[in-house]
Amino acid sequence: MIPGSITAIAAALTCMAAPLVGVAVLRLTERRIDPRLVAIGAIAASLGAAVTLAAWWHLGNGQPARFGHRLAAGDLVLVDGLTALLLPYVAIVDLAIVLVAPRRAFASAGVRRLLTGTAVTFATFITAHPAALAALWAASIVATRSTIRSTLGGQATARVYGRMMGLALTCMVAGTTLLAADPPWLAGSGARGAAGGWLVALAVMIRKGLIPFHSWYPAIFSGASLATALVVTMPQVATYTAARLLVGHADGVPHELVLLANAALLTAAYGAALAVVQRDVRGLVGMLAMSQSAMVFAGLSGTVPTELCGALAIWVSSGLALTGIGLVTWALESRGGRISIDTLQGRCADAPALAAFFLLFGLAVLGFPGTLSFVADDLIIAGSLDDHVHAGILVIITTVFAAIAVIRGWFRVFGGPVPIDACRHAILPRERVAFTGLLAILFGLGLWPGPFIRSLENVAASLLASRQHHAAPAAPVTGDRR
Amino acid sequence: MNVVPHAPDAISCLVAWQLVAPATALAIIGLPALNGRSLSERTTTRVVAAAFSSCFVAALAVLVLLASRGFTQHVVHLGQLFEVGHHSASIDLVADGLSVPYVCFSTGLCGLVNAFAGKYLHREPGFTRFFILLALFGTGMNLMVLSGSIDVMFAGWEFLGISSALLIGFFHERRNAVDAALRAFVTYRICYVGLFGASVVIHRATGTGDFATLFTSTWPHASCLVDHPTAVAITLLVAFAALGKSAQVPFTSWLPRAMEGPTPSSAIFYGALSIHAGAYVLLRCEALLDAAPLTAWLLVAIGVGTALHAAVVGSVQTDLKSMLAYSSMTQAGIILAEIGLGFRLLPLVHVCSHAILRSLQILRSPSAMHDRHELAAALGGHPGASTWSFVRLLPTGLGRHLYHLALERGFEEAIVLRAVVRPLLAALAAADAFERRWVRLLGGGE
Repeated sequence: MIPGSITAIAAALTCMAAPLVGVAVLRLTERRIDPRLVAIGAIAASLGAAVTLAAWWHLGNGQPARFGHRLAAGDLVLVDGLTALLLPYVAIVDLAIVLVAPRRAFASAGVRRLLTGTAVTFATFITAHPAALAALWAASIVATRSTIRSTLGGQATARVYGRMMGLALTCMVAGTTLLAADPPWLAGSGARGAAGGWLVALAVMIRKGLIPFHSWYPAIFSGASLATALVVTMPQVATYTAARLLVGHADGVPHELVLLANAALLTAAYGAALAVVQRDVRGLVGMLAMSQSAMVFAGLSGTVPTELCGALAIWVSSGLALTGIGLVTWALESRGGRISIDTLQGRCADAPALAAFFLLFGLAVLGFPGTLSFVADDLIIAGSLDDHVHAGILVIITTVFAAIAVIRGWFRVFGGPVPIDACRHAILPRERVAFTGLLAILFGLGLWPGPFIRSLENVAASLLASRQHHAAPAAPVTGDRR
Repeated sequence: MNVVPHAPDAISCLVAWQLVAPATALAIIGLPALNGRSLSERTTTRVVAAAFSSCFVAALAVLVLLASRGFTQHVVHLGQLFEVGHHSASIDLVADGLSVPYVCFSTGLCGLVNAFAGKYLHREPGFTRFFILLALFGTGMNLMVLSGSIDVMFAGWEFLGISSALLIGFFHERRNAVDAALRAFVTYRICYVGLFGASVVIHRATGTGDFATLFTSTWPHASCLVDHPTAVAITLLVAFAALGKSAQVPFTSWLPRAMEGPTPSSAIFYGALSIHAGAYVLLRCEALLDAAPLTAWLLVAIGVGTALHAAVVGSVQTDLKSMLAYSSMTQAGIILAEIGLGFRLLPLVHVCSHAILRSLQILRSPSAMHDRHELAAALGGHPGASTWSFVRLLPTGLGRHLYHLALERGFEEAIVLRAVVRPLLAALAAADAFERRWVRLLGGGE
């Protein structure tokens, strides 16, 4: 292993270990130290390590760092462009959640669960081994289910989540077992590898919340705490799993990925359309999250860098923007309970700063010029139209419905007669820091997207190169496999 | 079109200033407001006034410089945003005989409305918000007018849409204002598909979004560079976008309701600039329209139809701003018909003169009502009004039907609601109800 790779792997492991250290500190110093401070320190350390890793990737020669690649069927630790993109992203999302979380939702046990979940997500994003991915899926599903169950009134949601994820986990374990036995990214793989690919695709479909397995996605936003919903959905572990296990097959773009991409396009349009008729803000955020996260898949099966770049850019832009909307919603709920959007709520006078932040995050979701999502939408539509016209049309429909849903939601929450007993709630400094930071990233990368898009192009090129690298020797066996 | 990017020179700097100035004003007043520390009213109006007045002077200077060069087109390349493979996005601005006069009068009007609004909205709770949105609108307008590619035009179009919707809902505590804002935004968003679709067709046909690949020569004597079906497709999509923005049939219902916004924004948006954005886009694509007579005749039919519709409906309105809204709609329809008939300078002159007159009327409308009441008080009764109407020339039955038709706004809104909006919402609500039932079943029926 070359010294640069050691640095990268060390940074990746530090990223994963820092939240666990935070958990240990919280256990040792029960009630003597503010859990929020510990969580901020732990995730900030992870963010520092993740930024170091990203810098290593961008300044290096573009070669991934691997460890444990002699194990059957994959790398136990793989640090490449995708890892360098996703680790800082997850750290930023979690840091924002920790900063904004209301005090009463931030007991020590809850923080420990959050940090453990964060560590599991980091661990997932630094491995490409099927067995390790299946094990980490199991860990995160069990932890999330227990967190939802502990939420007041969350038992029904925990059952919905448990049943859907149980099915997903079963498919994942069976699929990865077959994949490990007969890796389809090696030339000469057979029927077992193909079956494994289809099972993993089914698992991804369920965990990703794609039609027809999408129902748990908005349900978790309605029935669990918003922190849990955001931590579970925003990293998009299922997308990462597909990128590692389904992209790069020996016969080019696998049929599983094409199926997932088409299901994702339908989910994106359907979710955005349903967001228009939601009756409470959580439902709106859930449907938007389902729709936007599905958009990522629209580009993942692409054969041109434009489409893959668009998918990666949407991964980051929609994730950060929806985190922002979710957190503003949480901040509003902490001041006045759940918010219906059946009628006008008149909350603008109550919380004018939150109204401004909600609107700006909404604009960042709907592809407003000057935001990263504008660039992302442009790339994915240009790329998908090169491949399939129907994909571009569905993406356009999605953006229309999503925009109407966001602006309708904003007017319903903040517009309308001000309640006579309304009192003004000032925004807290930590909330302002979190929201301003997220907006700075979204608008900064939107106004000056060049360097970020160049880095995404490198990641896309490495994904496409792995495909082409494997595809060349495998051409004769393509017909045999299918 | 001899599109040769120039090195930075006087014209380039002055054209770039058209974006830099309002965007800087937006940042200067917007960022402190976001941080909870809004600037004072005086500082806010001065910052915005400085931006628009400097833009106006710069635009006049560009006009003079361009006139001295015979209005040859000048392309300003502000830089490339990003590039992936063969796909790239760059910011190119174009100064020519269409864009520069348009910028002159739009920045001039924005400056005047800024001066008016500084007094009119004094101590209004949303004072800073209004000026933030005005600066956003000014940035978007200049971006759209000076755009040298469909992508940049699209970005400016989006700025106009969101600033317009937020200003209609400026008095957000009023239900009507919120409903009107949402209605306008939904109309814009549906018509956005037209411009977005046009952008997609242009990219697929030419590989870039630059207008230089679509038509040659300098406005208004450009000639089309793409084949007939492509020209028809692009113009139909652009016309669809323009119909929504200019409140033409079947998208008229949002305009009278848009008057819920404060008077200065009504003047600048629905009397002057925003309502003519569609006409501007069509004028920019005039070479394509020449190659697509089908679209041109469609524009004439819709424009004339809208003008008649708005004239009839406007005649039974009972409030001044609604009447002015329908008058604007009538003129916008005539302007679209002029464009469809192949005129180029006439619609440009018509847009400018109508915009100036209508802004003045809308800005004057609150005090005109006040003056009328004072006059009535001084005279000891109503000063009287003309009771003549062309309806009196019609047979009584027909006149009554026409009156009913006008009161119901031509049933246009009812038809759109019944045929499109309600079935769509009902289908979505049914799907949502099914989702909820399914989740309840999965969750054990709780």
